[in-house]
This record gives sequence, structure tokens and C-alpha cells, in this order.
Amino acid sequence: MSGTLVLVAEDDEDILLLVATRLERDGFEVLQARDGNEAFALAHKRHPAVAVIDVGMPGLDGFEVTARMRADESLRNTLIVLLTARAQEADVRRGLDAGADMYLRKPFSPAKLSTSLKELLKRHSSGGGA
Amino acid sequence: MRPAWLFCGAGVTVIGIYYLLPTGGQGQFVIYDTVGVTSAVAIAAGVRLNRPANPLPWLLFAVGNLLFAVADIIFNILVNPKVPSIADGFYLAGYPFLVAGLLLLLVHAGGHHRVPALGEALIVTIAFALFQWVFLMAPFARGEGTLAHRAVDVAYPGMDTLLIAGLAGFFVTAAWRTRAFSLLVASLVALLIADELYLGAYASGSWIDSLWLLSYVLWATAALHPSMRDLSEPRRVRSIRVSRWRLGLLVGALMTAPTVLLVQWIRGASLEVPAIFTAAVVISGVVMLRLTGILRALERLRVRERVARGEALAAQAELAERNIRLVEADQLKDEFVALISHDLRTPLTSIIGYIELALDPEGDSPLDEERQHYLEVVSRNSERLLHLVDDLLFVARVRSGQLVLNLEQLDLGELAAEAIQAARPDAENAGLSLSLEADQATLVEADRARLLTLLENLISNAIKFTPRGGRIDVRALPAAGGVLEVSDTGIGLAAGEAELVFDRFFRSRNAMERQISGTGLGLFIARSIVEAHGGSISAANREDGGTTFRITLPLRAKPQQTPGTAELVA
Repeated sequence: MSGTLVLVAEDDEDILLLVATRLERDGFEVLQARDGNEAFALAHKRHPAVAVIDVGMPGLDGFEVTARMRADESLRNTLIVLLTARAQEADVRRGLDAGADMYLRKPFSPAKLSTSLKELLKRHSSGGGA
Repeated sequence: MRPAWLFCGAGVTVIGIYYLLPTGGQGQFVIYDTVGVTSAVAIAAGVRLNRPANPLPWLLFAVGNLLFAVADIIFNILVNPKVPSIADGFYLAGYPFLVAGLLLLLVHAGGHHRVPALGEALIVTIAFALFQWVFLMAPFARGEGTLAHRAVDVAYPGMDTLLIAGLAGFFVTAAWRTRAFSLLVASLVALLIADELYLGAYASGSWIDSLWLLSYVLWATAALHPSMRDLSEPRRVRSIRVSRWRLGLLVGALMTAPTVLLVQWIRGASLEVPAIFTAAVVISGVVMLRLTGILRALERLRVRERVARGEALAAQAELAERNIRLVEADQLKDEFVALISHDLRTPLTSIIGYIELALDPEGDSPLDEERQHYLEVVSRNSERLLHLVDDLLFVARVRSGQLVLNLEQLDLGELAAEAIQAARPDAENAGLSLSLEADQATLVEADRARLLTLLENLISNAIKFTPRGGRIDVRALPAAGGVLEVSDTGIGLAAGEAELVFDRFFRSRNAMERQISGTGLGLFIARSIVEAHGGSISAANREDGGTTFRITLPLRAKPQQTPGTAELVA
């Protein structure tokens, strides 16, 4: 897991720092983006293993970033985790339809997010190999 | 009531004795005169006994009857005197008192139907007067004898006509149903019949005497009867009823003149054209006025009804509009709550997340014990705040009909075990034992996450309301689908709260008194979840203290389609 590249896109500075700190403590390498456009540009440039994207961002929102990333062939292997304060059935469905691999509702435990990422990566690498 | 009937019974008995005595004898005279005087006194006694609001009419009756009694005495002393005698003077003086009394009673009892009552009395009186004139008075008036003799002969039917006038007025008031009025009518009818027959052939001791005597007795009985008070008090009759009786009266009145004309023509008697003509004109006029009055009253009634209906419709429309606005305001409030709940989640993410980071044992600078305790308190309270935000959001969603179920086959026993597992630490902290009873599988189709929330709510409630050392039992049993029961040995429900506890924001009196914190949302959410499944929930106090919540779920959830759900799917 050490050195695995994770993109965190979140317009709330505190939450961005919170997630980045937790993930860095757990050995991830973290890329930070503060809006949707920056997030997509960074993802396109650096090809992270996982992108943790907030749904409610100015500019491109999380659903749109997800859709663009899924349309980008070079980001085929990037796992996408959506963060949102809105957690109605319709939002979840919309996120998963856009191509997200996981949907996390705010407020969340940063430790649990970290654990979930690790599990997701593990499943993906074993599943992807088969 | 008793004095009236005692007097009546005694009077009738005395009348019987009257006919056992030798006809025209002294004994008869004494009895006859005694009945008359006693009755006049009894009427005055009735006024004292019953204390009517307006005693004057009854006192007039007493005077009228007393004058009759005096006339009787004089008549008997003179022994069948020639007409006109001084007795006739007293007799004729008595009538105006009776008529005045009747009219006074009528004016009081008529209420606001006084005018129709007087109008109808007038019609009957004129019709009766026509009969009296044509068949009784005119022959005497043109008959033989001295002028005084003829005048007195004509005066009696004339007085009777006045009595009829007073009586007729009463029939159209509400008072005519009372016992006292029936007695009064009976008395007057007896008097009238006797008077009409008297002009034929009469001699002392004749059976006609019984009618006069009866008239005395009945009049006094009426005055002694307690219902005589009702005749002296105004009574309001709200609606104008065009009864068959009233129409019959008007038709009968209109028929009087032609009938009299026909009878006279058949008899070959003098036609009395001027009298019949005058009576016909007056009766027709008054009947027309009465009909117009009735029609106007009906029209007024119809207008009033139309206005009232219009007002009711307007009020209904306004109410509907206000209701729509209320519903809109309510929806707005729910949307607002949903929005706020979402916005609260972002700062809560930072609060909860940073506390977790601060408490992380692998952190850069470990905390001393005191600070760690402080942060744990903050952590616990932010979890509570989050719970509240979740509850508010849930309620807003339920209210806008957006509760969607993810149905799957599940075992209620297993689900209960899971909920108990989660609640065990809290129960142990509160010093409570928590047990599960699920002997067999209870399979239903339901939303797992929602039912878990439901059970968690009920169990956490039970923990909150059960004193240390108590017991909480959760049961799952298959019965008509599935039944879940959560029982505790807690403080129980106050009287009348078994239904109310499921209302939004309801706080139990027991909880308030003991200052147990809560929002009043937990059980509303529980009920919403159960009802979304098509099931039911109820609460009841246990006989040995504490409360049992019982949930019944159908084998397969029957979600009720709400308008909000359709929007969501679209």
C-alpha cells in the first residue's frame, strides 16, 4: 500500500486536510485538488490508483468529474470513491451510474475511509488480475 | 299537578250528585252556585299556587267566572226570570273579562308569531260570526219581543263569537300543546255548546247544566295545573310551518260564505246577503294577507338559506385555499429541514474526523488523559448531534413521501440478534440485562437497514426509560407474517399516551418529569418505517410495570405508494 497514489478532491479545506492527513499517516501518497477541473486535470496527468472526490464542488461537480474520468481511456484503472453530504437513494444511484466504485456519506470516519480504500484496492488488484 | 286533578275529580263527582237531586229543587241550586263560586276562587288559588309570569289574564278569568257565579245565584233566587233579567246583566258582564284574559294570554304567548296568530284568529272569528249571525242572531234580532229581550238574546251568541276569537288565536301558537290549554279549550267548548243550546229550550236542572258546570270545573282545573305557567310565558317558534291544519283553516274560512249561502238557499230562508257579502270580502282579504305573509316568510327563509349557503361555500373555498397554503408551508419547512440537515453534515465531518485524528494513538503527539477525556466527550456529543440531524432528515423525507424500501428476505430473529449485539454495550453501561427470544425462524420480506434502525430506536428507548437493574426482552415470532416485541421493566407510559407516543415531536409526560432527554422523533420514525412496510406498531403498559412495543409486519412488505415516491423515480 505504501506509496500508492491517491487523489483527494474536496472544496472544503478542512476536510481536504483531514483526509490527506489520515491517508498520509497510513502511507498513501496524496494529491490534493480543490475543485472539479483541477481534480480532472491532476487525475489525467498523474493517473492515481484511487480518486476520492467530493460530489458538491464548484465548477465540475463530483458526478461530472467521475463521468469525464470514466470517458478517459487512460484512467481506466483508477478507482473512484465519491464523498457526499447528500445520501439519498437517487444520489447513490446517480454516482454509481456515473461509474463510481464506492459511495461514502458525510460525516465519515477518516480511519474507516482509509481501511475501505485499502480493501477496495486489494479486491481490485486480485479481481483485476483474474 | 295533584291539586288540579283532585279538583277536577271532585267537580265531576259533584256534577254527578247534582243530577241525583230533585230537578229544580233547592239542593240543585246550592250545588250549582257552590260549583260556580268555588271554581272562581280556585282560579285565583291557581294563580297563587303556580305563580305564572303574567297573572293578570288568570285573574280576569277568575273575575269572569265569579260574575257568572253571581249571575247563577241571582237566576236561582229569581227562579227562571224573564229575559232580560238582572242575571243576564251579570252573565254578559262576565264574557268581556274572559275574552280580555284570552287576548292577553295570546299576546304574551304568541312570541314573534303574534301577527300571523291574530290574523288567523280573525279569519276563524269572522267565519264563526257569520254562522252565528245567519243561523242564531239574525232570527232573534228580527224576532218578536221587546227590544231589550231581543238585544240580550243576540248578545249571547255575540259573546260566544268573541270567545271563539280568543280561542282561535291560541291554536296557531306553540302553547296549544300544553295540558292547561287543552283544559281551557274543553271548558270553553262546553260553555259555547251550552250557550248555543240555551237559546232553544231551557229550564233549570236540564242536562245542559252539566256543560256549564263542567266549564266551571275545567277552567279551574286549567288554572290549577302547573302547565298554565307555559301559557303565560312567551315561546319562540323558529320556523314557520305551513301545516295541513293551517292550510285547512284558510280553505275552510274561504268556504264559509258560499256554504252559508248554499244552506240558506236550500232552507229557503232569508239569504242575509249583506252579512254574507261583508264576511266573504273580509275573510278573502284576510286570507289573501295571510297567504301573502306565508309566501313572504317562505321567500325570506329561502333568501336567508341562499345567503347562508353562499357564505358556507365561500368559507369552504377559503378554508381549502388556506389548507393548500398550510400544506405548502409544511412542505417548505420539510425541504428546509432537509437542506439544513445536509449543510450540517459538512461541519460535522470536520468535527468528528478531527477528533478521531486527535484521539489516534499513532498521532504525532500523544494526549494526556484529561484532554483525551475531554475529546471523548466532544466525540460522544457530536455523534449525538449527528444522530439528531439524521432523524430530522429522515422525518423530512418521510413527510415528503420519499421513503424508499430496499426489500429482501430476512429473518427477524437474526436481525434482532444483530440489533441486540449493537446495543449491548449501552445496556451494560446502564446496568440492564438484554435478552433475545427467537425460537424459530421468522422470515419476512423487508428493508434490512430500516428495520435495524427501528429496532435500535426501540431498544435505545427501552434503555433510556428503564432504571438500573431492569430487563429488556426482545422477541421475534412468526405470526401472520412476523411479530417483533421489545419489552422493558421501565417507567411505563402515562395514561392516554399509548397512541400519542408515535406522534412527531411527542414527549411523554414521564420522560419530561424525569428529565430524560430526547427529541420525540424516535417512535415517529419507528412508526413510519413499520407503516412503510404495511405493518403496524402499538405500545402498551405491562401488568408488572414497564412497556411493550409490538410490531406486526406482513409476510411481504406492501409499501404504500406516496406522491413523493413517484417524483423520485421520475
